Amino acid sequence: MSAALDIHDLHVSVGDAEIIKGLTLSVPAGEVHAIMGPNGAGKSTLAYAVAGRDTYEITKGTVALDGADLLTLSPEQRAAKGLFLSFQYPVEIPGLSALTFLKAALNARRNARGEKDMPAPELLKLVRAKAEALKIDPEMLKRPLNVGFSGGEKKRFEALQMAVLQPRFAILDETDSGLDIDALRIVADNVNALRGPDRAMLVITHYQRLLDYIKPDRVHVLARGRIVASGGPELALELERDGYDKYLRAA
Amino acid sequence: MIAAELPNRRVEAWRYSDLRQAIGAEPHVLREGRDIIERLAPGTQRMSIPAGESRVFVERMDDDRYLDARSFDFTLGEGASLTRIVIQSGGATPLAMARVRLSAGAKLKQFVLAEGAKLSRIETDVSIEGEGADVELNGVYLCDAGRHADLTSVIEHKVGGGQTRQLIKGVAKRGGRGVFQGKIVVAHGAQKTDARQYHHGMLLEDGAEIFAKPELLIHADDVQCAHGNTAGGLDESALFYLRSRGVPEVQARGLLVEAFLAEAIPHGLPQEISDELLGRIRTWLGATA
Repeated sequence: MSAALDIHDLHVSVGDAEIIKGLTLSVPAGEVHAIMGPNGAGKSTLAYAVAGRDTYEITKGTVALDGADLLTLSPEQRAAKGLFLSFQYPVEIPGLSALTFLKAALNARRNARGEKDMPAPELLKLVRAKAEALKIDPEMLKRPLNVGFSGGEKKRFEALQMAVLQPRFAILDETDSGLDIDALRIVADNVNALRGPDRAMLVITHYQRLLDYIKPDRVHVLARGRIVASGGPELALELERDGYDKYLRAA
Repeated sequence: MIAAELPNRRVEAWRYSDLRQAIGAEPHVLREGRDIIERLAPGTQRMSIPAGESRVFVERMDDDRYLDARSFDFTLGEGASLTRIVIQSGGATPLAMARVRLSAGAKLKQFVLAEGAKLSRIETDVSIEGEGADVELNGVYLCDAGRHADLTSVIEHKVGGGQTRQLIKGVAKRGGRGVFQGKIVVAHGAQKTDARQYHHGMLLEDGAEIFAKPELLIHADDVQCAHGNTAGGLDESALFYLRSRGVPEVQARGLLVEAFLAEAIPHGLPQEISDELLGRIRTWLGATA
């Protein structure tokens, strides 16, 4: 089976510290994989490095999406190839409405494919329909993005962006943090609705709880900058029961 | 007239805007007056807004060749309302001094868009003389290379129960200079005054300059006053957020700077004015991106 995302021997440094130390991971098209790990294991570093944040320096290794090298591309070019990162801490942008943000993102994606901007009424209809599925009040679309939003609202807006942009590969970085159980269910339903043979996802989480709602095909344990164990969904349950101690010692 | 009568940077109120250096070599006629801009202006335009009435004034300062000095004197009756918009685009020496006096319950809403010039200074002196007056004194400066914009204001709460909201935002590029000097005075006995003053500057390139002198002088004890002043670069995490969604870097920067500046445009302006102001900001950002 062809891999949607292929990471080989990846090394990432932040400042002088090497955080990811030779990580290899393949997520085939149509699958959802989970990465679990203790705090400080490098989970978010992996997400940012793949998305192209320039403060994360790739010192070695390769990252490819559908066989094409991502590391030479800018963040916007990676997004144009279909990569999407759901942020653990979505950024507040005073003065920029959520709708304007979505419009810019969607049309940038279309322009990159050589398509024209989506007509405004069509775009508004699309965004409203997706917002409704996530139980987002349409009035919130007019508010400055994420400013004064609760933790749950921010994550719902990340899910909304994903639903509107329809990425080829999505990385969900601690999507469950800041979510109460109802919001978690709504966001998970939305993610599950996006599962399909043409799409793959990497779900990054500290807790097993999220994986009750988004069932992964494979679970990987990230500790001290490497994948130290991989298995089926039962691995998540084992981690929930036994904790990460075993892997921290082994690593 | 002699150049020595023009203030240079050794005069505290003009320390960031050296008027003598800017126009001292040319001949000028100086009238009698309290302030150098009033003395340079050909006359003072006086306007009185009767109690309960509303006026909108839009001033366009677009002279690219000559000294453009203007002096205004506004008096607002009880419950009167003045909306004043100043659009400074001329590249020579636009200088404006406006004195505004507010009676009880009067409202002043002002917005200055200063695109800078060889030396531009838009000065406002507000005197709150009646209870419960309301002042919103916002502005945006856009300083490209070789452009200097100075927004200076004094807001004096002489009696209580008044409210001031001031939000000044600005951007400067290499070789551009933005200046904000804002003083709020709450007089002894002006109780229950509620005054907020914020200035946020953004340096778009190395070699840009932003100077700010915020002052809050409070002589009453039962008041709410707050102020904040920042100058920095573009928020890199916001930029990455937009780029990670596929928005190209140049467009993302433009959107973020526009969002930053647009916050200072007051709500409730006539739609065509809001559109013109936002359009000018967009044009400036597009032309200099």
